[in-house]
Amino acid sequence: MQKHSDEALVAYLDGELDAAERAHVEAWLDAEPAARDRLLALSDQAGLLRAAFDEVSSEPVPERLIAAARGEIAPLRGDGEVVVLRPRRSAAPVETRRWYVQMAAAAGLFGLAVGVGAGYLGGHTLAPAVPPADRQTETVATNTWLDNAAADYRLVVNAGADSMLDVPAGGEGNDALQKISQNLPQQQVRLPDLKPWGLTFRGARLVVVDGRPGAQLVYGTDNKAIGPLALIIGSTKQPDLAPTPGRRDDVNLLYWRHQGRASVLVGQGNIGYLWGIANDVAWQLDAI
Amino acid sequence: MSLRWNYGEQPVHAAGRVAPVSKRFSDQLIAVLPRLRRFAAGLTRSASEADDLVQAACERALAREHQFQEGTRFDSWMFRIVQTIWIDQLRARDIRKENGEIAEERLGSDEPVRRVEARLALSEVRRAVSLLPPDQRSTLMLVTVEGLSYKQAAEVAGVPVGTIMSRLARARVALQHLLHAGASERRSTNDAEA
Repeated sequence: MQKHSDEALVAYLDGELDAAERAHVEAWLDAEPAARDRLLALSDQAGLLRAAFDEVSSEPVPERLIAAARGEIAPLRGDGEVVVLRPRRSAAPVETRRWYVQMAAAAGLFGLAVGVGAGYLGGHTLAPAVPPADRQTETVATNTWLDNAAADYRLVVNAGADSMLDVPAGGEGNDALQKISQNLPQQQVRLPDLKPWGLTFRGARLVVVDGRPGAQLVYGTDNKAIGPLALIIGSTKQPDLAPTPGRRDDVNLLYWRHQGRASVLVGQGNIGYLWGIANDVAWQLDAI
Repeated sequence: MSLRWNYGEQPVHAAGRVAPVSKRFSDQLIAVLPRLRRFAAGLTRSASEADDLVQAACERALAREHQFQEGTRFDSWMFRIVQTIWIDQLRARDIRKENGEIAEERLGSDEPVRRVEARLALSEVRRAVSLLPPDQRSTLMLVTVEGLSYKQAAEVAGVPVGTIMSRLARARVALQHLLHAGASERRSTNDAEA
């Protein structure tokens, strides 16, 4: 590498130089204003580059890619084979979950859970094809839903959870749930128990989901890798949707729809934890 | 559709061939999908092309799950698969440019008039990236956008670290020229319209 070169400046910006090389570049920058201007331009360019592609990574991932990652759809340029799923077995879930939760808890819980990841995110079937126009409307609605979910989460976190809650939790939180449920037209809100994850229910807020009232359940924890978290549950008329990751700036979201219920788990922690917790939540909401 | 996830069922092709997919492996794959899409968006010239590329990469990764070594970086392994498929596609289409050559297409040639300045700037950056030679484009995305170290990017690309350094510097300089040219052209057009 030439000492006075764009290569050196770029490597300097990327933190790829050793101490001696760094000192040499800094001496060069001290001596030549033109080099400083060039460094500044390159630095601005890096920020612009990241911004230009960031919106791609914060978009919801298309279902077809999630299905592909699970091996559930026919190859893109395949030989025309149709992929079908075996019929589901009905007995396994409870034991599997207990094994998973107990094992995670016994192992100090969280470190192990990240590697193991999402628990059950495996084998859902694909939703029936949706016409393009409907799909577009659905995408807009989903984006709005996620934007609101992220904004509601920030509101609670920034304000400090308790001051924003419509119904602070007392005891096990069932009273709070009952009060929130009274304000929801169509559904009884259930409270997933996330204590095995070290998450404590703090209270609930009324929010709007898909144009209808919904509940934002707020959980707190001392574990910065996980929380705080918010789970938003509402009703929806949109078709079922497999668990899908999303992102709004520094907020991670996992969202899904199932039998008229729309759920989104929101947090700023590790996405691996979110997958695991979302899986646990989905199981509990169906099982309770 | 059921939301009941992973009770052990595996995809079975209609012909009866079982395609075993490890849940843990597919979970890892799903977690890295947003970054794969971003990387692919930098390599290709349209969102649908990028998603096709990612889908093809998922399929190849599942078929070669046994080749992934535990303890190594999963994202780097996937970036490498995406890049390999992309290069194969470029070769198949016979549109790959020689190293160091920049496509003759220029910024703003047939772009529709855009109304939002901020979005214009970002879309011009994406467009400028798409004009870089494939090797530079890929290196730029891996290091500057995806945040890989030079060593990691070298492993993904299968080239020495020194090659990454020079590709990256050439890419950054070329990008600067392209963006500058685009801005100048836009200024000239605006002046003429005024």
